[in-house]
Amino acid sequence: MTLLDTPRKHGDASDGGAIGARLSRLDGKLKITGAATYALEQPVDGLAYAVLVPATIGAGRVARIDVAAAKAAPGVRLILTPDDDLGLQPATDWNNVRASDGPYVPLPRDIAYNGQPVALVVADSLEQATEAARRLAIAYEEGPVTPGLDSPNAGEGSPLDQLSVAWGDAEAALAAAPVRVEAEYHTPREYHAAMEPHGLIARWEGDRLTVWEPSQWTHSMARSYAEWFGLPPENVRLVSPFVGGGFGSKGFSYGFGAIAAAAARRLGRPVKLAVTRPQNFAAYGGRAATRQSLALGATEDGVLQAIVLRGASETSTVGTWVEQVGAATPLMYAVPNFSARQRLVAVNTVTPGALRAPGKTPSAFAIESAIDELACAVGADPLEIRLRNYAEEDPQARKPWSTRRMREALAEGAEAFGWARRSREPRSMRDGHQLIGWGLATGTFPVIRNYGEALVRILADGSAEVVTGATDIGQGTYTILAQTAAEALGIPFERIDVRLGDSALPGAPVAGGSKLAGVMTGAVQKAAIAARDELIALALNDPNSPFRDTGANTLILADGRISAPRGDGPVVSVGELLGRIGRERIEVRRDTLPDHLQTPEGRFRAWTTMTTVQGPTAGDYSMHSWCAHFVEVRVDEDFGTIRVARMVSAFDCGRLYNPKLAESQWKGGIIMGIGMALLEEGLVDSRNGRVINNNLGDYLLPTNADVPDIRVIDVGIPDPHASALGGKGVGEVGIVGVAPAIANAVFHATGRRVRRLPITLDALV
Amino acid sequence: MSSPRTIRFTLNGEPVSATIMPHETLVDVLQHRFDLRGARESCGQGLCGCCTVHVDGKPVSGCLFLAVFADGARVDTVEGLARGDALDPVQEAFIEAGAFQCGFCTPGFVMMVKQLLKEHPEPTDEEVRHYLTGNLCRCSAYPEILDAVKLASARQAEAARRA
Ligand code: FES
Ligand code: FES
Repeated sequence: MTLLDTPRKHGDASDGGAIGARLSRLDGKLKITGAATYALEQPVDGLAYAVLVPATIGAGRVARIDVAAAKAAPGVRLILTPDDDLGLQPATDWNNVRASDGPYVPLPRDIAYNGQPVALVVADSLEQATEAARRLAIAYEEGPVTPGLDSPNAGEGSPLDQLSVAWGDAEAALAAAPVRVEAEYHTPREYHAAMEPHGLIARWEGDRLTVWEPSQWTHSMARSYAEWFGLPPENVRLVSPFVGGGFGSKGFSYGFGAIAAAAARRLGRPVKLAVTRPQNFAAYGGRAATRQSLALGATEDGVLQAIVLRGASETSTVGTWVEQVGAATPLMYAVPNFSARQRLVAVNTVTPGALRAPGKTPSAFAIESAIDELACAVGADPLEIRLRNYAEEDPQARKPWSTRRMREALAEGAEAFGWARRSREPRSMRDGHQLIGWGLATGTFPVIRNYGEALVRILADGSAEVVTGATDIGQGTYTILAQTAAEALGIPFERIDVRLGDSALPGAPVAGGSKLAGVMTGAVQKAAIAARDELIALALNDPNSPFRDTGANTLILADGRISAPRGDGPVVSVGELLGRIGRERIEVRRDTLPDHLQTPEGRFRAWTTMTTVQGPTAGDYSMHSWCAHFVEVRVDEDFGTIRVARMVSAFDCGRLYNPKLAESQWKGGIIMGIGMALLEEGLVDSRNGRVINNNLGDYLLPTNADVPDIRVIDVGIPDPHASALGGKGVGEVGIVGVAPAIANAVFHATGRRVRRLPITLDALV
Repeated sequence: MSSPRTIRFTLNGEPVSATIMPHETLVDVLQHRFDLRGARESCGQGLCGCCTVHVDGKPVSGCLFLAVFADGARVDTVEGLARGDALDPVQEAFIEAGAFQCGFCTPGFVMMVKQLLKEHPEPTDEEVRHYLTGNLCRCSAYPEILDAVKLASARQAEAARRA
């Protein structure tokens, strides 16, 4: 087959190859039998157990800690407090910037938020450490607390000028517009709440450190540990073969890791720190609370003339995290005049972080609610108004979309949902006591590109192995990399093994930003094709090869067998061929780095920072995944209880490497969006900044009973600009737009417009 | 502190014993004394179901169940379901339906589904959704879990018809 007659890939099983097939998880059996070992389950001899002691004030300082009683408790080996100099250096951040003003102090005396670690107690058992921690006498000097974004003393914060976006004259166009809708939208603090809590096991052997810690990015986290302890990078190994969910929380090392590793070093004994479930609400940050005032100006037909967004999000007093509320706003609709600005407000919280589709999710809540409000204002159907304002190119970057199948998503979603039968007026559909509402909203997530590295081995028994340090947090890396190798090598999927999740293995970017699949399938395909070519070259040239004298100039690898293209020569298995030519294996390591990064520094930077990332408009096109969600809610007329009754969501994520896994990601994102819309909210005690509902009973997560029938539809086509194999991002886009779709449905059911998440019954009765 | 005690129980069909402290939970004892890591702690408060195992044929939250109470009991965990290489039909259905992503919650779900199918061999969707409400899956593989239960139930019924 020549390149020219390579068949077009549809991204489903009709392609015939392993890529695109609805295969079950490669790691399925390990997980279903309990045999998959997560980081903290790693059997390590001689463990000591650490307990983190969190601050119980929201701001101020630790005046003193009396450790005498705790030290005297049975089994106690070590207590670290702000009085201890841990001797750590700052680590490089994801922009490759390293603070020069050391040292790094993960147990500072100054308290910036409730729950901040103030001590670590290590003992022979967890119970002993827990008991000793209770005996610490901690005296605080309390300072004034700013508990949250909407606190009276929070202030307006500071402007983020680098995020200002403007074209045309939005204020003037808004003032002149015949129709205006203006409102304020709020989203609360939300938490990852991965079922696997955070924590680590740290073991030193001389000046070599091994860390078992759940990770979305082994190489970068290993680098942090190395820099904290002033070690060469190769002295630290971070191991994380199975991860119990991350959702953005497991991409970085945190202070608790530094403290536990420092304790292990001092003790000369491996230390295990299991961050408790309540501590998981303050040991690292969730999604920042946001506030957006959003104004749309339009013609009487609902054609947008102006969008003006003024937003704010919270961060901590000790770190900067920007939840970019304007992330989706400029992309969704064609608009001649646009202005967005954002402010950042420092409050007493742990520094917030990335939670599934950061920025895009709160951003879509506002714009996709507002466009629904506009539809109502001009008497248009919510679907129709989206088509009237359809963006034929990226309105901000002024570049063509690589692919944007939003029309198809809206059309196919509407068809499957039965949208045409919707009656326009709010409160016009009911079933007995239940008010029925149908709502629609769309979502987007950018295509982010980066580089990766993989090693492919073809083994003497005819099987093959794929090896890379990338991680699988549940999204399916093991499976799709095996599929990629199977197809490129012509070796059956069942005979491919994949090793992941170890910083000692070839380089990979973070499993975040919905890019790992696109990046790593490209790297594995490249390595696998090189391995196949090497095998074929050996088969053609090795004196002991049965193909030596066939006169063929290439060979075919399929189903684990190698043969001449015309089918007139011998057919031997891959294993047999390797045996005949006396090779134990073919091993090829390849990366996708461009020339300018082919240096030790460039490689290190690519695997450990975000500086080699290319955004969605880096090239000639603007590249994004897209979706449209259709929701039916049922609201009890008397009690205001809201149930999502059914959903249909249509997605354009380019080519799907494995539809079964992709659909699972979509549905998982949608369900997290249902949680965001109706359940999830970090409640903060205004007196002391403590997260009150810091457990899985009070921080409400969706359960099986909250989940309706969800139908997902794939309307994507391969996007050759987005990635080597044509896929766009899958993992995050599903959550984007779900909350506004539900809010819009609630409005349709009840006539009440709720602009503050989560939507609870008190907003409706 | 109170003193250690020796408990004897049947673990996945095998008689076993362990000398434990009275405060140790069943999930700790399974993890640390028996290297069975399928039942695992996530919330430690009986709120998530990740630690679900069966004691005398009933599912319990292993994080709240003191191991001393397992003395003389029959304890079954996810590790005991497969017969050699042959997975339990519920396990098979979970893999086929794609009923998990990260897999952390999965052993707990499987043990709960075993009980569900014992009590309701052919459950309705609503029965499944409500029966499994005590098990959390943050990856939210809930729709696929429902599919897996229906699949396992259909196969169970089919096998019963043939028998
Ligand atoms: S860990 Fe036992 S119920 Fe959550
Ligand atoms: S599969 Fe990840 S929590 Fe259920």
